[in-house]
Amino acid sequence: MAFSILAAAPILIAIVALVSVMYGTKDISAITVWQAITAFDPSNVDHQIIRTGRIPRIVAVLLVGSFLAVAGAVMQGITRNYLASPSLMGVNDGSAFMITLAIVFFPGLPNYQMILLSMFGSALGAGIVFGFGSLIRNGLSPVRLAIIGTVIGTFLSSIATAIAMYFQVSQTVSVWYNTKVHMVDMDMLMLAIPFGLVGLVFALVSAKAITITSLGEDIAIGLGQKTKAVKIISMLAVVCLTGTAVALVGKIAFVGLVIPHITRFLVGVDYRFIIPCAAAVGAFFLALCDVLSRFVNYPFETPIGVLTAFVGVPFFLYLVRKHGGEKRA
Amino acid sequence: MTVSILMLFIFGASYLHLTNGVFDMTVMDILKTLLRIEPNPKFDLVIFEFRLPRIVIAALVGVGLGMAGVVLQGITRNGLADPGILGINAGAGAAVVIFMFFFQLHLTSADMSSWLSILMMPIFGFVGGAMAAVLIYTFALKNGHLDMQRLILTGIAINSGFGALSLFLSLKMNAQDYEAAAVWMAGSIYNANWIFVVTMLPWLILIGFYVYRKSYLLDYFQLEEDSITSLGIAVEKEKMKLLLASVGLVSACVSVSGSIGFIGLMAPHIAKQLVGIQHRYVMPVSALIGAALLIFADFIGKTVFAPSELAVGIVVSIIGIPYFLYLLVKSKA
Repeated sequence: MAFSILAAAPILIAIVALVSVMYGTKDISAITVWQAITAFDPSNVDHQIIRTGRIPRIVAVLLVGSFLAVAGAVMQGITRNYLASPSLMGVNDGSAFMITLAIVFFPGLPNYQMILLSMFGSALGAGIVFGFGSLIRNGLSPVRLAIIGTVIGTFLSSIATAIAMYFQVSQTVSVWYNTKVHMVDMDMLMLAIPFGLVGLVFALVSAKAITITSLGEDIAIGLGQKTKAVKIISMLAVVCLTGTAVALVGKIAFVGLVIPHITRFLVGVDYRFIIPCAAAVGAFFLALCDVLSRFVNYPFETPIGVLTAFVGVPFFLYLVRKHGGEKRA
Repeated sequence: MTVSILMLFIFGASYLHLTNGVFDMTVMDILKTLLRIEPNPKFDLVIFEFRLPRIVIAALVGVGLGMAGVVLQGITRNGLADPGILGINAGAGAAVVIFMFFFQLHLTSADMSSWLSILMMPIFGFVGGAMAAVLIYTFALKNGHLDMQRLILTGIAINSGFGALSLFLSLKMNAQDYEAAAVWMAGSIYNANWIFVVTMLPWLILIGFYVYRKSYLLDYFQLEEDSITSLGIAVEKEKMKLLLASVGLVSACVSVSGSIGFIGLMAPHIAKQLVGIQHRYVMPVSALIGAALLIFADFIGKTVFAPSELAVGIVVSIIGIPYFLYLLVKSKA
C-alpha cells in the first residue's frame, strides 16, 4: 500500500498542480502554461500570472501540506496521542504570535529572521502547552493536552490581537494570521524550501525511532532506544516544519491532525512509511482544498482554512466518538 | 450582603465606564444629565446614545452568560463547562450570520423593518445554539452519561466547524453587511443601541426567571443519578429543559454581542466561592458577577488602548484563560 501511494502520488499531485495552475479567476490553457515555463515572455499577461502567481502558490501549498502532515505524524507518534497536531497543541499559534510580535516591534525584518522567529514561536507554543500538561496530573493525556493546547492557543491569539490593536497594525497582522496562499512571497518560498527540508530530513531520520517510541516508552527503553535524543530530534523536526509553514502561509488547522490518521489507516503503523506517505497525502489534500477554495464562491476566493475545517471537523468528531473517553494513548 | 457589595461594584464599574472614554465627563455632568437638572444636548447624546446602552448591554449579557454558565456547570457536573467552550456560542453565532446573510439587515438603521429583523435574531440564534447543543449531546453521550472529556472535545470541534461556516458566509456578504458581521463576530458591544436592549430583555427576563425557579434542581443534580431518580425527579427531562433554557439565554446574548467566552466559566466559580454551593444563591450572585465582570472588561477594552477599542471578548479571554488554566491545575492537584 505504501509503495502504491508513493507511486501514485507524483501523478495525482501533478494533475492537481496542473489544474491549480490552469484554473482560477482567469482560466489559462495547458499550452500557455507550458510556454510560460519553457519560453517565458514577460510581456504576456498569462505568462506573468503563471510565473508570479500560480506556480509559487501551488508550490507553497504542496510544501505546507506536506510539512504540516509530517509534523502532525511525528507529534502523534512521539507523544502517543491521537489528537496531537500543530493546530491543537498551540504550535501554530505560537508561531503566529511571534510573527505578530516581530511585525509590531521589528518591522521590516528580513525573511529568514522571520522564519527563525516563527520557529522559535512554534517551540515556545509547544513548550508552554507541554509544560502546563506536565504540571497537571494526567495533563499529558490526549484530551487534556488538546484542551490546554486550544485554550493556550486562544490566549496567545487574543494577546496578539490586543498588541496588534494597540500598535494599530491589525490589518498587517491579520494578513499573517489568516492563511494567505494567494499572496505567497517568492523570496520567502525560496527560503522555506531549505528550512522545511531540514525538518523533513530530521523527521525521516528519526522515523524508525518514532515507530519504536510509539509502542510505549518502556518498550522503547527496553529496546535500547535513547528516548531523550529521539524526542529532541523529532521536536526539532516539528518546530522546523510548523515554523516554516506558518511563516509561509499563516495558520492552517486540521491538516496536521487528519492526514496522519488517514495515512496510518492506509499504510499501517510503521513510521518509516507513514512519514513519506503523510507528506504525499498532505500535499495532495491541501492542493485539492486550494483548488476548491477558488470555486466554492467563484469568482471570490474562500480562505483555505474554511475548507480544511469542513473536512477536518467531521473527522475530528469521528475520532472523539471512537476514542474519546477511553484511556487510550 | 454579598449582593449589596456586588451592586456597589457594578455601580463602580458603570461609573468608570460612564465618565471615561474618548470624551471625558465629570460625575456632576452625568448626574445633571441623568436627572434632567441641566440637560445638555452634547452630554445627552454621549450618555443616552452611546454609553448607557453599552453599559446596559454589557450588564444584560453578563447576567445571561453568568446564569447560563451556572446551569451548564450544574447539569454537566463539570466545572469547566462554559457556553463558549462547549460551542453553543459558535452555533448561535453561525445561525445569526446565516440570518444576516439572508436578510441583509443594516444594524444601524432604526426603521420598522430592521426593528423586526433585529427582534428575530435571538430566535435564529436559538435554533443554531440548540443545534450545537444537540450535536454536543449526540457526540458526548456515552452509555447514557455525559462524558466530560468528550464534551469539551466536541465543543472544540463545533467551535471550529461553526466558526468556519460563519467565516465562509460572512465572506459571501456584501461589504457593508460584512463589516457589521465582522464587528459583531469579534464579540464586541461598542455598536450597542437601545434596539438590542429591547431585543434581549424579554428573553432574559422570561428564561432567567424560569431558570431561577428551577435552580433548586441543580442542587439535586450534584447527587448520584440513582438518588435523584429516587427523589421522583425526571432527571433527563429536567436536564433537557434546563439545557434548552441555557441555550436560550446564551443565544439571546450572542445575538446582540457576538461570542463572548469565559464569563460563563468564571462567574459561577467566583459565585460559589462567595455564597457556597446552593444554586438558589449561586444563580443570582453569578448573574451579578457576570454583569460586573463584563462592564469592567468593556471599560478596560475601551480605555486601555484608546482611541482604538479592543473587543470585549478579547479582554475577557485574556483575563479568563489564566483563570481557566488555574482551575484546571487546581481541579486535579
